[in-house]
Amino acid sequence: MSKSWKILAFGILACVLVIALTPYVWILLTSFKGRLDILSPQPTWFFTPTFANYPAVFIDKEYLPLVFNSLIIACGSTALSIMIGAPAAYVFARTDFAGKEDLFFFFLTTRMAPPISIAVPLFLFFTTLGLTDTIYAVVIAHTTFNLSLVVWMMRGFFAEIPKEIDEAAMMDGRSKLGAFVRVIVPLAAPGLAATAVLCFIMSWNEFLYAFILVAFEGRPLTVGIPGLITPHGTLWGQVAAVAVVATLPIIVFTFLVQKHLVRGLTFGAVKG
Amino acid sequence: MTTTAQPSRGQILLDRGASLPLILPATLLVLVFLVGPFYYMAYTAMTDLSFANPDQNGAFIGFDNFRKLVREDTIFWGSFWRTIRFVAIAVSIEFVIGFALAWLIWRYVERQRLLTTLLLVPMMLAPVAVGLIWRLLLQGDFGMATHYLRAVGLLSQSSAVFSTPSLVMPTIIAIDVWQWTPFVTLIILAGLMSMPRSPFEAATMDGAGPWRQFFDIMLPLLRPIIALVLLLRGIDAFKEFDKVFIMTGGGPGTVSELLSIYAYRVNFKTWNLGYGAAVSFMVYLVVLILCSVFYKAVYWKSADQRAQA
Repeated sequence: MSKSWKILAFGILACVLVIALTPYVWILLTSFKGRLDILSPQPTWFFTPTFANYPAVFIDKEYLPLVFNSLIIACGSTALSIMIGAPAAYVFARTDFAGKEDLFFFFLTTRMAPPISIAVPLFLFFTTLGLTDTIYAVVIAHTTFNLSLVVWMMRGFFAEIPKEIDEAAMMDGRSKLGAFVRVIVPLAAPGLAATAVLCFIMSWNEFLYAFILVAFEGRPLTVGIPGLITPHGTLWGQVAAVAVVATLPIIVFTFLVQKHLVRGLTFGAVKG
Repeated sequence: MTTTAQPSRGQILLDRGASLPLILPATLLVLVFLVGPFYYMAYTAMTDLSFANPDQNGAFIGFDNFRKLVREDTIFWGSFWRTIRFVAIAVSIEFVIGFALAWLIWRYVERQRLLTTLLLVPMMLAPVAVGLIWRLLLQGDFGMATHYLRAVGLLSQSSAVFSTPSLVMPTIIAIDVWQWTPFVTLIILAGLMSMPRSPFEAATMDGAGPWRQFFDIMLPLLRPIIALVLLLRGIDAFKEFDKVFIMTGGGPGTVSELLSIYAYRVNFKTWNLGYGAAVSFMVYLVVLILCSVFYKAVYWKSADQRAQA
């Protein structure tokens, strides 16, 4: 009896897995299809693959710089968030002060802020500064939400390091900052790495801030995608190629940080 | 060194002095680039600023925009209730399916790592890419999903999903479910894995059946995590923009115009920035309310339980 339940459970899970993955497999296949295979009304699962779509969009349509823009924006906002956020998280983990939990909650609201509400004033603000249409504008915008992710996640990681370790380091004559940089950060390195990867993913996948803040120069891959869709005659092979390049690195990263994903997605509320 | 392990009052002050430079940059960044824009938005909402009309150069008009929004703007209320319905239906379905899947994995699968990682693929894709994938799949003439939907008779031969108004919102909900159910599964599964074994063993000993165990032990134990999942998903779904923007752009007509799409249209299509700020402010307000519920329900309660333990 229990065995047949188990088979049923595996059957259900297998179906779910097929539903979850088929759309992505389809876009992967489409990126290697020629025009006729894509436009065939009968779905074609087997076909002679072509590699023409990738150079056509990344070289001829000059989408390659967008990949670099995405990389620079994601790396830049990750570095900035970690550099500013990790010390703050350390203070939250170690020091008690009046209004600490309120300030901590305040960081959470920044994460939850709807981009559409913040993007407009930010757009006007960056216009005044002459920063619209530059990578810096997007890096800063992405840092506003990644910063709270760092503060929330790293507070938990720092709290797991016994207090005695910083006390010992300070006893050895290190300042608080010295103890943090030389002793605590190396100990928290795995957590820091996982947080960094999550920040990278969030920034890489983000669309709305980037879409509003940069139109041409410095636009990342996600912003380049809608431009490829036209009411008639969309070149779906090329669109699919861009979609694959925009998503495959993230899937690889997901495998890397899977252990810490739960903590990252719940702002440290669930350890996972 | 003659310091003792017991810190004196002076040392605590010194310690706070050392903490300030560590926490200040983060606080400043948020103040300048988030709180600043927030207040600027609130101010803009009380002006008639518009880039489309040179006469409206940002004169202060008090609460006129809000009055117009709440009393007269039927499109706003349409998109507001559409968004509420979207959030309620999508998150409920995601929760039920996600919970069931988590339970199945927890109960029957020993080596979960690969399975859960593969399940996560839909939610890790950039939302823009998700919109793109489904736009291709549901394309009228050669979409793969369209073909199979027609083959099993769920869709008539000549129609396409995104040009049939009555099908658009249900489809968007289904796609949201496809994308975000794994999120629920992942977090509920983490909750299930961290449950203590002993109450279940005791209950089995006392002869309590699986249903009793589920309702009397498992659900109460998981309550904080369930609240967390529902609120996080609720907040995110309320802000939904990317997928819908790529797939339908809010259309046909305003059939799939969610609140954030409406806010986008007012701001960046009609360039009516004063009125747009009022719309944005309402979106922010709802998210802020959900957010404080989240904080009270999840963090407060879990700290409470930690204190009791």
